Amino acid sequence: MNIIVCIKQVPDSTQVKVDPKTGTLIRAGVPSILNPYDHFALEKALDIKAKTGAKVTVLSMGPNQAIAVLRLALALGADEGILLSDRAFAGSDTWATSYALATAIRKIGQYDLILCGQMAIDGDTAQTGPGIAKQLNIPQITFCTHVDASGNQVVVKKLIEGGKQVLQADMPVLVTMTMPVDYAPKYPSFLAAHKAQDKQTYTWTAADIGADPQKLGLNGSPTRVDRIFPPPARQKGEVLTGTAVELAGKLVEILKKESFVK
Amino acid sequence: MIQISQSCVGCGKCVSTCPFGALSIVNRKAVASAACTMCGACVSVCPMKALSLPASAAGAVKKDLSAYKGVWVFIEISDDGRTQKVRPVGFELLSKGRELADQLNEELCAVVIGDNVQNYVAELSQYGTDKIYAVSAPEYHTYNTLAYANALVTLIKKYNPSVVLFPSTYIGRDLSPRISSELFVGLTADCTGLSIKEGNLIQTRPAFGGNIMADIKCPDYRPQMATVRPNVFKKVVTTAGRMAQLVSETIPVPVEAGKVRVIETQMDPVSSDQPLDEAPVVIAGGRGMKDQEGFALLQKLATTLGGAVGASRAAVDMGFQPKEKQIGQSGVTVASKLYIACGISGAVQHIVGMEHSDVIIGINKDANAPIFNVCKYAIVGDAKQVLAKALEQLKK
Amino acid sequence: MAKNDLTTRNLMLDSLRQYAKNRISFNLIREHDAKNEIPLDILKEMYDHDVLGVHLLLIPEEYGGLGGQTTEIYRICEQLARIDLGIATGVFATFLGSDPINVGGTPEQKAKWFQKIAHENKLVAYGATEADAGSDLVSLRTRAEHVVKDGKVVGYKITGSKMWISNGGVADIYTVLALAPGGPSWFIVEKGTPGFTQDAHEDKHGIRLSNTAGLAFDEVYVPAENLIGLKEGQGFLQAQAVFGYTRLMVAAFGLGGGEQAVETALEYAQQRIQAGGPLAQKQGFMLKLITPHYVRFEAARAYIDWTAKQLEVNNHGLATEGAIAKLYATESGNKAAEDAIQAMGGFGYTKEFAVEKIKRDVKITCIYEGTSEVLEMTIFRGRWQEHLKSRGQYYLSQADEFDAIHAQNPDVGADSVALGFRALARVLEDCRVNKLTRHQYVTFMLGDLISEMEVAAVFTRQCANKLVTEGSRFDIASLCTMARVNARQSAFKVASEGLRLILGTCPHINTAELSQAVNLVGIEDKMRGLINDMDTVSAKLREIFKK
Repeated sequence: MNIIVCIKQVPDSTQVKVDPKTGTLIRAGVPSILNPYDHFALEKALDIKAKTGAKVTVLSMGPNQAIAVLRLALALGADEGILLSDRAFAGSDTWATSYALATAIRKIGQYDLILCGQMAIDGDTAQTGPGIAKQLNIPQITFCTHVDASGNQVVVKKLIEGGKQVLQADMPVLVTMTMPVDYAPKYPSFLAAHKAQDKQTYTWTAADIGADPQKLGLNGSPTRVDRIFPPPARQKGEVLTGTAVELAGKLVEILKKESFVK
Repeated sequence: MIQISQSCVGCGKCVSTCPFGALSIVNRKAVASAACTMCGACVSVCPMKALSLPASAAGAVKKDLSAYKGVWVFIEISDDGRTQKVRPVGFELLSKGRELADQLNEELCAVVIGDNVQNYVAELSQYGTDKIYAVSAPEYHTYNTLAYANALVTLIKKYNPSVVLFPSTYIGRDLSPRISSELFVGLTADCTGLSIKEGNLIQTRPAFGGNIMADIKCPDYRPQMATVRPNVFKKVVTTAGRMAQLVSETIPVPVEAGKVRVIETQMDPVSSDQPLDEAPVVIAGGRGMKDQEGFALLQKLATTLGGAVGASRAAVDMGFQPKEKQIGQSGVTVASKLYIACGISGAVQHIVGMEHSDVIIGINKDANAPIFNVCKYAIVGDAKQVLAKALEQLKK
Repeated sequence: MAKNDLTTRNLMLDSLRQYAKNRISFNLIREHDAKNEIPLDILKEMYDHDVLGVHLLLIPEEYGGLGGQTTEIYRICEQLARIDLGIATGVFATFLGSDPINVGGTPEQKAKWFQKIAHENKLVAYGATEADAGSDLVSLRTRAEHVVKDGKVVGYKITGSKMWISNGGVADIYTVLALAPGGPSWFIVEKGTPGFTQDAHEDKHGIRLSNTAGLAFDEVYVPAENLIGLKEGQGFLQAQAVFGYTRLMVAAFGLGGGEQAVETALEYAQQRIQAGGPLAQKQGFMLKLITPHYVRFEAARAYIDWTAKQLEVNNHGLATEGAIAKLYATESGNKAAEDAIQAMGGFGYTKEFAVEKIKRDVKITCIYEGTSEVLEMTIFRGRWQEHLKSRGQYYLSQADEFDAIHAQNPDVGADSVALGFRALARVLEDCRVNKLTRHQYVTFMLGDLISEMEVAAVFTRQCANKLVTEGSRFDIASLCTMARVNARQSAFKVASEGLRLILGTCPHINTAELSQAVNLVGIEDKMRGLINDMDTVSAKLREIFKK
């Protein structure tokens, strides 16, 4: 079985801060991490590998520094890493990203299961996984909490509005994973980190994967940012100050005045 | 990276706009670093029009955009295992869609795929809907990505709408990117605002993972697609009693759809708690509630006022509340009659998930907390202490 | 297998950080600190090959280790120190204890002991210090007498005692320095050997999560094969060969501890509202208690990294550089931790926050592996030789180099470095002419001034080469500003302090002439804009360390 896991390097959201004056983001010195949804998807792929002996290939698109997340994946047990890195990819929205990743997957050739995190914490769009599936013309199952594969079938558990669903699908199929609330990502031992250096990592350019330049970067991105702006400041309401007891009294008064309590 | 022409005067306006810190002024000219993602946020702020995105290499083939007309809303049918009905977010999107259609001077259409779709026609007609495209067959009873995507793509290719809106539900978020990928069009997720500017759909959402809003557009591609969470827009009945024109289409389900099969559906037990997004009163807690004891106070107040407890992302991250109680861009959106934000500073991520509530009360130690910008009442004090005292007083 | 590259190094650091985040809470540290107890289970877990296997770094690859390079070991040390200096000391003791085997062991000894340490996760202790023999090993009292059988030395009987041995009460393997008939030699002694006992664990001011105990040897028999290198009299050479290296690791401890303290204080100051705004927005607060420490941390980081990279090429030696790194980084870290308490006021003085513990912990870095005073002496001796050998040209030629750098890069403070080196050369020369080095105090202070200037020089040169030291969170522009601030202050310190030493010991010298000779006015002139530069650094700090 061949599994491909698509992963992304993202700024550690717990450390991205906002400048209170301008409202813009402060990214200076913010470390990068493997997108936690992808981290979880990778761990699931490695679970399947442990059971079935599947080959796990990790694929990422980004600048050269993104090699760090591939290395992490290799240290955790993935077999091979591929980084798509080229100026031609710059400015890609989810459409162009899906296209580039799908084109790379076609070049890899053999795949039965493609696993993705449901979304990246720096974009929150959840579009790339389904985008890849469509480009490859294979089915997709999104927002899964569990995945298992054997033979030529996968069984997943996915979230639906107000419940869960168990589905079965023929491979090849693309599955996007959500993660548990208390998920603590696994990290490799020093020895595993060291050994991962000897595993193969390839860097592919747009030409290497034979991508159509019209579908890459800005050309392949239908969306444009029209403008960005700080959230509109509203008229401030009534400001109440005092001791805790006084404030509690005022709160109760408000609740009465607005008739939420009698 | 972004292109900077000679007309740059080094005013620096773009520098503070860049969400990635990629611009700086060197020798009185703006210079972009490798951190530039070509997001284009700086283009519109330049007073000299010196900034531009590189033109597409060979000039993408432009479609004839005038051929695309109509605002469409994908109507999701909910199914709890016993009954099927229109998910209310559909009405919210139709209400917003009506405004957009009026501005464009185009028609508003609902698209329904399912079984016995005619049952919903009257209900869907009330929100200013001009036309209902219905794909109705027993095979569509249960949602299947490939079957639904095929049906929608077939309709879109046949009728060429200019806008298609989807609910930001598990189904909407599964279906819409599959379709945009096939049609090579733009899709903006989880919009908090939609409007029309120069014939383009302007899609507003918090962007770049932070406290900043972005207007997104897709000027060269049609249809323009967006997803919107429940409770972001209000539903407004504008055409009570009117019947929209029903256009029924027969579209066969492709064989590939059989590759994915539902084995079992488990609906969560209907909990005694009110669903957060339907509660008339929401008491939400953040980091400032400090501990479980603090959250117990919230629960007491919620019980007293007949409401539900919610939480900020920080409080969820700290393990005080489960993920499904998270209110905000990456959680639930609420529009309650009363919203009390306790110990929540009010990052835009949170604000967009609750700002449509009627009466908002904030309790926070920091008088400058951004939450107070959306509050009718700003109580400056320790939320835990104030709530404890208020509960005592309410008991009497 | 290849040497670890930067990506692997960063991955190891991520793993270590993640492990600490999940397993070593501040509460755990606080409890063990209060109880004066080593968290042995944590240490054992950090040795677990499947969890981290941190000790594998120091073991050569051919014996099942990772053959860690100096750079990754110092960076791991820095990160360990940020977690807890007691735990860091426990890990480091194994590093240090294995070093005599690494430096002097025969291939058979390495194979046997390294494999034992690697595979059985053994804790090691380094037994050198005695009551009368600290850095001054000449007064060594512990003896190893021959045990002869059939006219052949088959083993040794060790008698004596050691004190303040890190891991002393918990190690499985000890490397012990003792005076053999052929001279000082290292022996490997295993726990449980008859006659070998460990004293009670010390009640220390800080690093209370590390075990420190005395060792007693009463005719402890070890076989001859446990004599490291199988040759007597190599002990001092083997000990000194690694000083450059081990002191660099303690330098990283000082840096890590100091950074952790100031970072805690800065995050607090971003939130603490005083007189209408956060403390961190107040200029006086930042410039007095926070900003100068970051400038010194980045200078220290640049110097430690530069030395590490040199050591990777030269393998051993660089005793003076190791001493400079340790003196500068640990004294900076210690002062920073002190100011971190001040910055947090009453909160800093309570055990609710980590800074008071860090302050107690980090003090040890100015003491163990050579006190600051021993280091000042070492540094002075090393460079004094260079000054004499070069007939006073040693620093003058470096000054020329920095003038050239300044011509290329006017923004990194290279002009001040050049002025500082000239002043230093002049001070050293006056000390020679007036025989001032007979004053021990002068030699200490000269050691300090030398370290000040050499660190400033390396930091400035790295910035001129646009080199962002790995592990730094700053961009190159901010680092250049810091280098500029640092070089100016270091040059001023050399000139003014040099003046004080010379005039303090030679009342007859003409003050105006001397002041002109060290170009005090020229150095003062460079102070223009210094405070503005520091404000720039403060602004950057607020940006990076905002919570």
